[in-house]
Amino acid sequence: MSNKNISPELWEKVEVHASRSEEITRKSLTYWQDAWRRLKQNKLSMLGLALIIIMIMFASFGSMFTEWDYSSQTLKNANLPPKMDVVKLPNDVYGFVHREYTLFEVDETGHIIDRLEPTNSMLDIMQNKRRIYEINGEEVVLDFSFISDAKKEGKIAEKGFELTVNGEELKTVKSLWNKTYLFGSDDLGRDLFARVRYGATISLLIALVATLVQFFVGVFYGAIAGYAGGSVDMIMMRIVDVIATVPLLLYVILLMVVIGPGLKTIILAMGIIYWVGMARIVRGEILSLKEQEFVMAAKTLGASTWRIIARHLVPNALGPIIVSLAMMIPSAIFTEAFLSFIGLGVPAPMASWGTLANDAVKALRSYPFQLLWPSLAISITVLSFNFFGDGLRNALDPKLRR
Amino acid sequence: MQNKEVLLEVKGLKKYFPIKHGFLGRKTKYVKAVDGIDFKVYKGETLGLVGESGCGKSTTGRTIIRLYDVTEGEVIFDGTDISDLSQRELLPFRKKMQMIFQDPYASLNTRMTVADIIGEPLDIHGIASGEARKNRINELLKTVGLTTDHASRYPHEFSGGQRQRIGIARALAVNPEFIICDEPISALDVSIQAQVVNMLDDLQKNMGLTYLFIAHDLSMVKYISDRIAVMYLGKIVEIGEADRLYNHPEHPYTQALLSAVPIPDPDLTRELAKDRVILEGDVPSPLNPPSGCRFRTRCQYAKPICSEEMPELQDIGGEHQVACHFTGKLIK
Repeated sequence: MSNKNISPELWEKVEVHASRSEEITRKSLTYWQDAWRRLKQNKLSMLGLALIIIMIMFASFGSMFTEWDYSSQTLKNANLPPKMDVVKLPNDVYGFVHREYTLFEVDETGHIIDRLEPTNSMLDIMQNKRRIYEINGEEVVLDFSFISDAKKEGKIAEKGFELTVNGEELKTVKSLWNKTYLFGSDDLGRDLFARVRYGATISLLIALVATLVQFFVGVFYGAIAGYAGGSVDMIMMRIVDVIATVPLLLYVILLMVVIGPGLKTIILAMGIIYWVGMARIVRGEILSLKEQEFVMAAKTLGASTWRIIARHLVPNALGPIIVSLAMMIPSAIFTEAFLSFIGLGVPAPMASWGTLANDAVKALRSYPFQLLWPSLAISITVLSFNFFGDGLRNALDPKLRR
Repeated sequence: MQNKEVLLEVKGLKKYFPIKHGFLGRKTKYVKAVDGIDFKVYKGETLGLVGESGCGKSTTGRTIIRLYDVTEGEVIFDGTDISDLSQRELLPFRKKMQMIFQDPYASLNTRMTVADIIGEPLDIHGIASGEARKNRINELLKTVGLTTDHASRYPHEFSGGQRQRIGIARALAVNPEFIICDEPISALDVSIQAQVVNMLDDLQKNMGLTYLFIAHDLSMVKYISDRIAVMYLGKIVEIGEADRLYNHPEHPYTQALLSAVPIPDPDLTRELAKDRVILEGDVPSPLNPPSGCRFRTRCQYAKPICSEEMPELQDIGGEHQVACHFTGKLIK
């Protein structure tokens, strides 16, 4: 109210056109554009989406970064770590001492050249706990007697081994990333990177199958039960209850007896059970939607039942359907990992994150990196799907619309 | 109104909704939403159907258009009884009879564009496709005062009045003869109400439509209707020409309804307040309606006979029918 002297001349009447009163100037946004706009504001769920995309890229194109196949074994390269402390050998090549007290030649970029063969006999190695190598005419001794000596005296050893050239100890020069096995290798000398990547394809395949089954069977079944209502609904939902009552583990075990273990069994078991939750959600949505006036309008227009379900009811229930899909994908991935972990998963040499974790647990204290990768992959994937699903739920919730 | 062609005749129409009990779903009780009503709608006229909430107006409309299955009685449209036709057999009638819904926010599918909403009847009945479909949609949009730019937008971008007009355009798409308007204006602003009602009026004149206009606002019904039917608890208690019924209501319920219409004049209102009939209590449950005359529990003139005998609709001349034992004998 500070500026009181606005003269009437300053005002000008704006003509209102009858035709313009119906105009809508706001940019037309569809439901999905609006949801995407809100989803973009949620940083956590965008991070989830980015991680999901990275995981899919990893599964699809990850094999380009490794020369190994998921099943190719090189037994002498077993249990190599991803990061190596190397020494300089007399022939100017880097050397790496494995935890199994063997010596590997490594080039300066971190590629494994070969495992060196000791010159002393097996008996000498076992009795004197040392391996003697001859490199460039010089004698390199890898002495690993410290731990067993300390044990005899009831002490704790200060170091596990000593590498000497002509009696002079070789010190660690630097740390190198293992370029031959990016994630290290497992107990059969298989590349963990290739195996984790292979596990990603299995997990994402399971996720895809669970999604498809949920979407096609669950939505279809739930929509029919919800729309039909009455005794049809009653019978259909009791069937769902019966299916849901039997635990997944039982299905898997029973199916394994019938068709044998494998990816097929897990996919089939998940296919049997995973649409049930979706059917319930869709049924509930349809039950409330079918009483709405736009459904009545479609009926008075003479729309067929199929048309009402496909064009009116399911599109309106799509929000909860998609959210439930996004939330059940991690559960499917996790279930597969769990089943594989307890030994009901894919058979060797196939790998899934669950079987990789299971294999790694045996040697957890010596080679913890073997457990790190599959568990990291499971955690990242499950978490990112959960973040994404959470953001999606908020974005699609009509109550949170602005 | 005499010698007019009957377009729709409703004979003894009943619609009961079963209430299920127990896990076996035994049907023990029925909600008698519509309990035996008879009326005729003439070609080109508007029949207003009024009554308070829960009296069965909307159920009547929905049963006539066969959204609900008929429990008993006949619905004769253009000479054919459609009360027991299957949905497939009903398809040709869907082109002749349409409905405008109450809630403009619920009656449009939010996931469809306006073009798809209006175009749906064209697809279902195979009326038009491709370019012809587009032209027809634009033509319909213009008919209801919207522009062709609106076709690609979604319902949530429109105001209530605009949405209701989209609903009207959808009903008009099949070129119907008869439209059931189920409280089309009660969810709208007063200023928009007049706009929509005037539009319905114009459409009737231009396209020769027949309306069954369901509402609870008597003044608006009087404005648009040629004849008015008053419903109470599933029964029609009075039916007659709009002016006559408005000026000389015979049934005590109609009198009460009319005296409740607010008058925009405070002086006059105070004067009339003495004569105002104020109904007490609620509408009895349609689960078990009172014996005899349904209105007797709230009627100031109720006599013993009212609880014993159900009064039938009697013609008191000039197509004016009243269902009361004391027609013309009421002492104020």
